[in-house]
Amino acid sequence: MLRLLTAIIALASVCAVRAEEMVPLKLDLPKPLFVGTPRPIKVSNLEPAQVGTPPPFMVPAGTVLLSLNKPATSSDSSPVIGELTCVTDGDKSGIEGSYVELGPGVQWVQVDLGAPARLAAIAVWHFHAEARVYHAVVVQLSNDPDFKAAVTTVFNNDDTNADGLGKGSDYAYVETYRGRVIDAKGVTARYVRLYSDGNTSDELNHYTEVEVYGRPVN
Amino acid sequence: MTTSPQQPPGLTRRDFLSAGAKLGAAILAAPYIVRAAAPQEAGDTINVGLIGCGEEGRVLLSAALKIPNIRFVAVCDIWPYNRGYGERLLKKFGHDPKPYEDYREMLSDIPGIDAVIVATPDFMHAEHTNASLRAGKHVYCEKLISNTVEGARSMVATARATGRFLQIGHQRRSNPRYVYAHDRLLGQAHILGRITAADAQWNRAVTEDLGCPAHQEIPEAILHKYGYANMHEFRNWRWFRKYSGGVISDLGAHQIDIFNWMLGANPRSVLAGGGRDYYTNHEWYDNVTAIYEFPTKTGIVRAVYQVETTTSAGGGYHEYIMGDEGALKISENPKYTRLYREARAPEWDKWVSDGLIIRPGTGEGALPPVKPWEKPRPKLSMVSKSDSTVDVRETAELSAWDMPVVLDKAIHQPHLENFFDAMRGKGSLHSPGEVGFATAVTVLKVNDAVAARKMLMFAPEDFTA
Repeated sequence: MLRLLTAIIALASVCAVRAEEMVPLKLDLPKPLFVGTPRPIKVSNLEPAQVGTPPPFMVPAGTVLLSLNKPATSSDSSPVIGELTCVTDGDKSGIEGSYVELGPGVQWVQVDLGAPARLAAIAVWHFHAEARVYHAVVVQLSNDPDFKAAVTTVFNNDDTNADGLGKGSDYAYVETYRGRVIDAKGVTARYVRLYSDGNTSDELNHYTEVEVYGRPVN
Repeated sequence: MTTSPQQPPGLTRRDFLSAGAKLGAAILAAPYIVRAAAPQEAGDTINVGLIGCGEEGRVLLSAALKIPNIRFVAVCDIWPYNRGYGERLLKKFGHDPKPYEDYREMLSDIPGIDAVIVATPDFMHAEHTNASLRAGKHVYCEKLISNTVEGARSMVATARATGRFLQIGHQRRSNPRYVYAHDRLLGQAHILGRITAADAQWNRAVTEDLGCPAHQEIPEAILHKYGYANMHEFRNWRWFRKYSGGVISDLGAHQIDIFNWMLGANPRSVLAGGGRDYYTNHEWYDNVTAIYEFPTKTGIVRAVYQVETTTSAGGGYHEYIMGDEGALKISENPKYTRLYREARAPEWDKWVSDGLIIRPGTGEGALPPVKPWEKPRPKLSMVSKSDSTVDVRETAELSAWDMPVVLDKAIHQPHLENFFDAMRGKGSLHSPGEVGFATAVTVLKVNDAVAARKMLMFAPEDFTA
């Protein structure tokens, strides 16, 4: 009887979610910035080239930007250039001074939203002044600042398990001014952590902006 | 094994004495002491100083960091932003460089520097290179060797006088695919038949001028001290005549150098057009097209070069060497690299069985195989779907072939390795000062031809430093 009740409640929740009004996520995109001539890219799990404007990413009505000017921390507390404030300062221009460059190898940045929220999407711009691909991109959500408990992975293109978080099957992708919008799947979390392991131009890790969209949990 | 640095190509005893006499006073007046020749042993760590930590300097840093037994001991840049960038980047990789604003201080302060990498704006190449050579350092200097022929000539003379290596950053000359094409395909197999034409292009889309990060401006007095008018010109020096040779130098130099190398000749004339037609706040031309005539051993070759900064159209960046039996399209980007066989040429099966080339559809840069879930790629058809057809039977379609050579390193790494290897007595420089000088003569004359609006002639002796 208890199982049946649980199933009914779960079904009702799903129906409620489905009944939610969905609207396109409105991103404030920076200007295209490719400078210079692209370097050769050899990546095993690169997504097929996309032509034209991508379809809108739909989010529940009432979704807002939660991450602007929220504190960011990192596995590299002493960046090569830039400050960790670049991660959430709203400057997506991609020019010098708008990004933070972390050291080589696997590195992460983490955004603290200040309170748990029901998350709809995470948009990330690593570095869009050049067509390049970041390796082993993994995005995780949690209410644990140490990401040891109740961690949800919402994106993983680490096909060699370079990050040590398990292999993922998402495509690697070329950075552009459009950034990359990742489905946060309605997970409730306070912290967002993004990993990478260098890129096709160098071994370093960059973040121009991370935007977390969702609705506060009341 | 101890070895002496090789004598740069073309250096005779007379050259050495002549240049040495001219430079003697300058060397004696230098504020730092010229060290005795310091032969490198094969496994020795080479201590390196970097002058210029901007974008190109960091590209070279990233490539050099992958080379064993290289230790960066100093970085120099007049901009604290760049200097700190270079310093912190190196520290991430276990180096502990000392930062300097003034290269003179760097050279006098750290006598143990073996080699200097110069990645500053072109108008400073001669000053930085000559000072480093006189201080006893070997020098890797970015291309163009200098924005003036006089500056380039002084660098070659100083290298000869000091007996130090001077490598110019025409990195294609160390790229294994380019080396293979030059030495094996063209040099030994003559696979293209008689070479009759060449072209090359590098087209880039419109870009905005570089700005300055907030609160990072260099004080005006410092800019003036180092020869810059203002921060905008410092950041966008490539567009201004005082500091640079313009786009034909910034982009064209790499590829025009390939004309000289692959054709085994220097040009005898150049006709060019271009203008500052789009970017009204710049001084240099934003588009240039040049036609060279090369008197090669097998006949005249006309080579067309186009560089655009207002469109990325044109199919990437590449050099195209064309003969009566085949053509080689080659680029630093392997996906643009192909060999094409003329239908009239003897079959290339022999070259395949010899391992010289590989059959179409394989090799680095080839299209990946169609995935099971992907639709088959449409085949290119010469037949129009409409009722009316266009007859394209004038000439047979060229078949595409590949080279069995890959580059699995950063594109600048082999050229830096060649430089450091030469210091250790392993091989000779692929792009010594003399090569850089001849390329600069070839390149800079284009700007003269654009201004003169007529064909200009080269004399053979123009290419001798």
